[in-house]
Amino acid sequence: MSIESVLIIGGGLSGFTTAKELRERGFAGMLSIIDPEGMPYDRPPLSKDYLAGSKDATGIALAPASWYEENHVTIVTGTVAALDPDAGTATLKDGRVLAADRLVLATGGKARRLSIPGGDLPGVLELRTKNDADRLRSLLAPGVRLAIVGAGLIGAETASSARGFGAEVTLVDPVEIPLVPVIGEVLATRLHAMHAEHQVRTVTGIPEEITHDARGYRLALSTGETIEADVVLVGIGITAATELAEAAGLDTDNGVLVDERGATSHPRVFAVGDSARTRLADGTLLRRAEHWEHAMNAGSSAAAAILEQDLPVHGASWFWSDRHGVHVEGVGSMHGEGEHIVRMLDGVPIAAFRLDEAGLMLGAAAIDGGLTVRAARRIIDRLIKVDALALADPATPLKKLAR
Amino acid sequence: MSEAINIGTIDDIDEGEARVIPAEENGTDQDIAVFHAEDGNFYALDDTCTHETASLADGWIEGTEVECPVHSAKFCLKSGTALCMPATIAARTHKVEVSGQDVLLYPAVSVVDA
Repeated sequence: MSIESVLIIGGGLSGFTTAKELRERGFAGMLSIIDPEGMPYDRPPLSKDYLAGSKDATGIALAPASWYEENHVTIVTGTVAALDPDAGTATLKDGRVLAADRLVLATGGKARRLSIPGGDLPGVLELRTKNDADRLRSLLAPGVRLAIVGAGLIGAETASSARGFGAEVTLVDPVEIPLVPVIGEVLATRLHAMHAEHQVRTVTGIPEEITHDARGYRLALSTGETIEADVVLVGIGITAATELAEAAGLDTDNGVLVDERGATSHPRVFAVGDSARTRLADGTLLRRAEHWEHAMNAGSSAAAAILEQDLPVHGASWFWSDRHGVHVEGVGSMHGEGEHIVRMLDGVPIAAFRLDEAGLMLGAAAIDGGLTVRAARRIIDRLIKVDALALADPATPLKKLAR
Repeated sequence: MSEAINIGTIDDIDEGEARVIPAEENGTDQDIAVFHAEDGNFYALDDTCTHETASLADGWIEGTEVECPVHSAKFCLKSGTALCMPATIAARTHKVEVSGQDVLLYPAVSVVDA
């Protein structure tokens, strides 16, 4: 049966990329994206340029409005209430029913809430959408006390952006040095120390209760310490939005289960991005990936699979973060066994690598190391053997080792 | 049509490398990156990535493409076309000619028009 229509539920990066790739791969049928927020936009700037105000809504659009016209992609602003995979329909909350030959779930995730007393107070904020960022920005001003729970990517980036407004920022995390599994201990330590250099107070502890009165919020920590704040933001990760899939009888397990093509347990339905989780042919479940590039790659794979084309080959995973004026990137995996090598420049760690016993690179991370990361990625993907001494030597460009 | 600028000889920029000709020298309002691509030819684009502020001359040059050193958007050096997200807007091209040993840049003369 030829595919004549595709309905994408969710207009984040993975949903948008599915549409873009379907068109680039020659799909000429009906193509719609349904999202409660309407036009697709990019989320990474929500904690950075968009929050800071240096980019507006147009600046973070994934494509200009003209692109949708030129490519005949319809944007439906609405919320899907139910799916019927057998019929190929999605029923919206307002009663509209849309039908297509293939449904693509790109429902993303919801910000995880603190499951502690007071964790559900209405003023305890999250940062997942444009509206969330607008609301947070409207509260930031010189002297405003902002407490951020979670010092991972979003928490650390928001702390940095909030300093730009002159807010007094306290960053709380259960671990002393966040991101060690992601970029290695040495780089993580340098990055975390930058918070104090930029007048962000870092506190190690687990929040146990949040209360609110006329003076503001009070966060009681496991350590006995209490943090007072005017604004509280929680950035402790997401939970996959699997409700629609579950209700429709699709296989789920902390994510909508898909094969490497993005196909769910129902032949008519695909799933991509943060909400999808890969189940290998032997039944092994992979970790759900939540990074930007993964969402894009999943969209392009699903588009190829829907059109029954060869799947694109994706390399080692990659992410970035920006805070306090530095750009951090990681590729592959820095977590686990292997030889960990740190590259120092004038006594400051600038990059870290992880090698296996055979001298193959498993992961790399760098601070302001654009070419280093790009070289590392090719070294990993092309299985190029590299010398540990050369990796540690700041005078050896990684580009040279990659070629 | 603007005048050509002699930006040096073909040996001044190694293959796989690029050089920035600043706006004040090239006469346009943008810095221009001149690339020596792996096909041996020279190409020029506006230096600033169309996605966010980053210098494409500092990017990864492979074949006839450049990858932005910050968010990995890729551009075709020949046409300026944005080849992948996060870039969606093409980079402006500028004509480059090799005359003998000299590399001549024609600022604001797009390759499409040239």
